[in-house]
Amino acid sequence: MSSLLGTMSIAMGALGAQQAGLETTTNNIANLNTPGYTRERPVLEEADPIINGGIAYGTGVKLQTIQSLRDSILQLQISNETQQQGQSQAYVNAMSQTQTLFPDDTSGIGQQISSFFQSLNSLSTDPSNTALRESVLSAANGMASAFNGAANQLSAQRSSLDQNVEQAAGEVNQITQEIANINTKLASPSSTAQGYGSFLDQRDNLIQNLSGLIDVSVINDGTSITLTTKQGAPLVSDGQSFALSTALDPTSGVQHIYSQGTDITGKISAGELGGLLQARDQTLPSMQTQLDSLASGLVQALNTAQAQGFDLNGNPGGDLFTPVSGAGAAASMAVAITDPTLLAASSDGTPGSNGNLANLSAVANQAVSNGMTPTQAYGNVVFQAGSAVSDGTTELNASNTMLQQLQQQQASVSGVSLDEEASNLLLYQRAYQAAAQAISTVNQMLQTAIQMGSGA
Amino acid sequence: MRISPYITQIELNAMSTADQSEQTALLQMTTGKRVNVDSDDPSAAAREVAIASQSGDCDQFLRSISSISSELQTADSALNSAVTALQRAITLGTEGANGTLSQQDRAALASEVQSISQQVMSVANLSYNGKYVFAGTADSQPPYVAAAGGIVYQGNGSVNQVEIETGQTIAVNQPGSELFSAAGASVFQALSDLASTLQSSSSTTDDIANATNEVSAAYNQLNSARTFYGSTLDQLNDSQTFLNSEQLQLTQQTSNLVGVDMNQAATNLANAETARNAALQAAASVGSLSLFNYLSTNSGTS
Repeated sequence: MSSLLGTMSIAMGALGAQQAGLETTTNNIANLNTPGYTRERPVLEEADPIINGGIAYGTGVKLQTIQSLRDSILQLQISNETQQQGQSQAYVNAMSQTQTLFPDDTSGIGQQISSFFQSLNSLSTDPSNTALRESVLSAANGMASAFNGAANQLSAQRSSLDQNVEQAAGEVNQITQEIANINTKLASPSSTAQGYGSFLDQRDNLIQNLSGLIDVSVINDGTSITLTTKQGAPLVSDGQSFALSTALDPTSGVQHIYSQGTDITGKISAGELGGLLQARDQTLPSMQTQLDSLASGLVQALNTAQAQGFDLNGNPGGDLFTPVSGAGAAASMAVAITDPTLLAASSDGTPGSNGNLANLSAVANQAVSNGMTPTQAYGNVVFQAGSAVSDGTTELNASNTMLQQLQQQQASVSGVSLDEEASNLLLYQRAYQAAAQAISTVNQMLQTAIQMGSGA
Repeated sequence: MRISPYITQIELNAMSTADQSEQTALLQMTTGKRVNVDSDDPSAAAREVAIASQSGDCDQFLRSISSISSELQTADSALNSAVTALQRAITLGTEGANGTLSQQDRAALASEVQSISQQVMSVANLSYNGKYVFAGTADSQPPYVAAAGGIVYQGNGSVNQVEIETGQTIAVNQPGSELFSAAGASVFQALSDLASTLQSSSSTTDDIANATNEVSAAYNQLNSARTFYGSTLDQLNDSQTFLNSEQLQLTQQTSNLVGVDMNQAATNLANAETARNAALQAAASVGSLSLFNYLSTNSGTS
């Protein structure tokens, strides 16, 4: 047998449940434009029945929990793709700057090399002409300063990337600390069910931000969460974060990254840090090496050719360029002479001979750097600089497309749909109205019963 | 399946893609280049380095040819006057060999021959831009000087080569030792012999004829050696024609390699604009669709 008061209590429970539904819907609508917000829904379930006289009476509804609708597999995929995207983006940004140092046509090292050899051809028509000799020296100076300029710019870019590496490492530390703080909050018993979803959202957001910076591996067994780099360097373990540190590496002259005292610089392969390190430690040094090789190859070949001839005074040719070799050759390339008469154009000591200019000109077709002529070697640098950007951009575009798709997928699970919320709003409103109506009806019945008792 | 409610994000992505293609098309149209940075086409950029260098070389070869040509023309026309002068000397010698001439007449001929020798000497010591063009490579001083034993050559027999096309060089001078003082055909020796034979009262008409023949031999040597200048100038002319057409070809190659097809770029631009407009319109119409618009405000009180 049931009671009117029992019915009243069922209706009261229903009011509460529908109100919770309204509240959740309103919260969803309120967070429509909140980045990283995961939509929530009330999980309602039937209250336990009362068995009376062999009959089970339902006791209404109860709010079990408020659930966030998140797909953890998608989130892992997004995290991985964000790492790729961060890497490509940082690399493309860095190399886009670098490629402007190596233009393909009417300026830069390539053009200066051509101009130098052209000035030799010009001198060959009148080898004792002082003005033409001056223009060879000025073309040689132009070539040397083009090498100096490009090499110095490369170094400058490398040190600016170095600063970016330090900053990015600092950001990693800040984020891992915040994640550890949230983990502490999530673990504490005072963490209420209502706050739970928003803490998870915040943490997911932070993990995505972290993924943009460094390669992250997330191990989440539901109760505890561990973040490491892909190579296993610890970042966060529950409430504890492990800061990365940076220190100047004396050999390479750049900042290296340490985790718990171990140098992990070469092991960071993704995120902004991965891209910065790839540009700083691989591509730029390789271009620097090629420039140095080209500069020292040119200097050596031209000095050798110069030594085979005689200057305007009939003396054997001395060095045209200050001898340079190995690292720093491009940065320190310099013309050794200022007196135009010291150019060894003559092959027999007579001032009118241009025979040795042929030897100097022949350097244009000699393999001076890695089996390539000067122009080929420069063309190769242009190709590498261009490919670095274009390959990086291709990867970046692929990552962007992939991320957009994944984010759409995630939004299809977790995104707030106004249409859905509008219909939920109606649903909860109607149910609330109906429950209120039930209370009002029971109230009238109770009144009837009371009046019956008073005999009125 | 539940679809993503964030339609605006899709629209934004579409718009940003259209924006990018629009920017690319605009940049290509304003610069006229398809490859504006190396990354636009790295291998084309690398090849462009080689072509730009070849094209610069062509320009240089053309400049060199023009400066060599004017020197060679000056030399050639000077040699022309020397040849004419020698012809006059031969005429004088032939005249002197006529037995009817008096000693006085022959002395007059001898003095004209001497002045011809002076004239040829000034041709042989021709300087162009401060250097002596018939001195071989010892061109900083006059190649012919009067010495005790007659006029001597102090130049050398060296010849300069200049590259006028990639990998092709050409000799640009003829030393005086080939022109004026070749072994057995020295112009100055022959003229001096003719003058002294004419002057000497003991000379027979045969002596004079022999001396005239000596001048003829020197004349022949000079005349044949100087053809070098004419044929070199012809060759330079040919090279100039070749380089001009090479230059055109390189320009064409550059344009094929890194230039933009204007029609294509204009079409790309139009397409990108259409795509962006479509994206904008779609975004605008999506924004107005919402269930909330269809729920009357008093639906809860009915």
